[in-house]
Amino acid sequence: MSGFRSFLQAQRRRLPVAGVLACAFLLKPVQDRLEARLDRASADPDILYFASPSIVKALALGYDGLVADVYWMRAIQYYGRREEAARRLIRYKNLPALLDIVTTLDPRMADVYRAGSVFLGEPEPLGAGEPLEAIRLLDKGIARLPGDWRLGFDKGFAYYLYLKDRGRAGQAWLDASRVPGAPPWMEGLAARALSEGGEVEMARSLWQRQLEEATRQDIRENARNHLHSIQADEDIWTLEFFVEKYAALYGARPRRLDDLVSAGLIRFVPADPSGVPYDYDPDSGWFSLNPKTGVRYIKMTYDYREEFRERLRRLYDAVKTQTTKTSKR
Amino acid sequence: MRVAAIARNTFRENIRDKILYNLILFALLMIASSFVLGQLTLGYDDKVIIDLGLSAISVFGSLIAIFIGIGLVYKELERRTVYALLAKPVHRWEFILGKYLGLVFTLLVNVVIMTAGLALTLAYRGGIPLHGYLRLLPAIYLIFLSLALITAVALVFSAFSTPALSALFTFFLWIIGHFNLDLLRFSRTTESAPAAFIFKALYYLLPNISNFSMVDSRNVIQSAAYYEPLNAAAIGWATIYAVLYCAVLLTLAAAIFSGRDFK
Repeated sequence: MSGFRSFLQAQRRRLPVAGVLACAFLLKPVQDRLEARLDRASADPDILYFASPSIVKALALGYDGLVADVYWMRAIQYYGRREEAARRLIRYKNLPALLDIVTTLDPRMADVYRAGSVFLGEPEPLGAGEPLEAIRLLDKGIARLPGDWRLGFDKGFAYYLYLKDRGRAGQAWLDASRVPGAPPWMEGLAARALSEGGEVEMARSLWQRQLEEATRQDIRENARNHLHSIQADEDIWTLEFFVEKYAALYGARPRRLDDLVSAGLIRFVPADPSGVPYDYDPDSGWFSLNPKTGVRYIKMTYDYREEFRERLRRLYDAVKTQTTKTSKR
Repeated sequence: MRVAAIARNTFRENIRDKILYNLILFALLMIASSFVLGQLTLGYDDKVIIDLGLSAISVFGSLIAIFIGIGLVYKELERRTVYALLAKPVHRWEFILGKYLGLVFTLLVNVVIMTAGLALTLAYRGGIPLHGYLRLLPAIYLIFLSLALITAVALVFSAFSTPALSALFTFFLWIIGHFNLDLLRFSRTTESAPAAFIFKALYYLLPNISNFSMVDSRNVIQSAAYYEPLNAAAIGWATIYAVLYCAVLLTLAAAIFSGRDFK
């Protein structure tokens, strides 16, 4: 007993330090325990305490720029956390209000209108599926920054892709083409949209333009993903078409895609845009992207499969007729 | 000369009070912002750093102005050091002016060091032209003017009230000072003539802090964040306003202090 006492006596300075350190180390596991007990589904009530831009502006006390930055970061986090969004009743209920607050506090943040319109306009689950809100945001941007042709370009883009309204898309691009400094191709784009047809080619040229001209990495990446997805769709439809032709000629589907080449139907088996071969199921005749693919597939909002197959059929028939004529001679 | 001696002493006292510790917090804020913002924001990295830097200069400066300003006179009274000082051939207005200038100089040193920190953070990120740095200076100058005005407000309260009440009064006036334009709007929209008069009187009477945050209907910090120039004449008018308002407040503080009985 006296030994223990003398030990305590000797360590009287070290013991409190050790105690504090032990408590500090214990804090983490205890906090983890508490966190594990949280009901994650109810952890995000998705409440925006101040939804009115004018109230937030008044409360900003002149630090409008800083508060706009904070709300912009909040909007990005709100949009970017996909898992959290999936648990909400409405995925991006507060996104329009958040973007409205940012652009009211700092109306000159052009990228907020641009990226925000993509966040709002893209169909669920990629975006909020609110194309009209996207256009409203862009209209606000065009009113505040009338010299920025890119906002008009994006407005046309939103009409074209999200609302499939080629007429209004063309009009938006035409308006944007009249802004000083707008690139010369804008007028052509407007003309093409205003004329009938050419829907996919138009989309492809738009994404290509964004890929080449966007300065922001995320916008270029989005354009590349769309281009790759269009390419993958068309590759798969082409392969399906020739598999059917093979089956019509030989009475069964090919076991391997190389059989299509051996049969002279195609010259080579295409790989997806990332260079990974497509998966093929000979029993069902279905194609899909290989799990190892580098393509981040985005389902297109327009369906032109039948139109594409019809074009292929005509092309196939024309080549076949030509080949028959040549062999007869 | 006596004013300078009191000012120098006030500055030394502030340094002894570890007032410059806030600079460490500011430095940490700037370093963290330059690393973390890239992860949180989409574009506007340098804008966010400028917004954060200038707002921090303004907020930290205002807090220092309020919380040191309120104790400037009260502390001397409480410690009874004022008796020793006033026993010497020093006028009471010299004491007030010296105290004021000492704190304003402390704030100036703070602002200069924080500006250097902001410039270094921006230089670390790179890609900002020289004129971009220069366009920050008018905004920083206007922030400094607002700090000088708040210090004068705090000093007036310090001359007759306790620190707790002075802090409360000054803080509220600082908040109200951002809403002065609303008072003007009320005076224009109300149909009652006496109410319009009261609103108008309050508009002129209360310190108009928004004179230093809004110039020509443009937010000063935002303009700096977009490297936009500010109108020199407008800055000149804001300077005249600050000088006049501070002169009135300092006279008021000196008058209150002179009227106090220290027996």
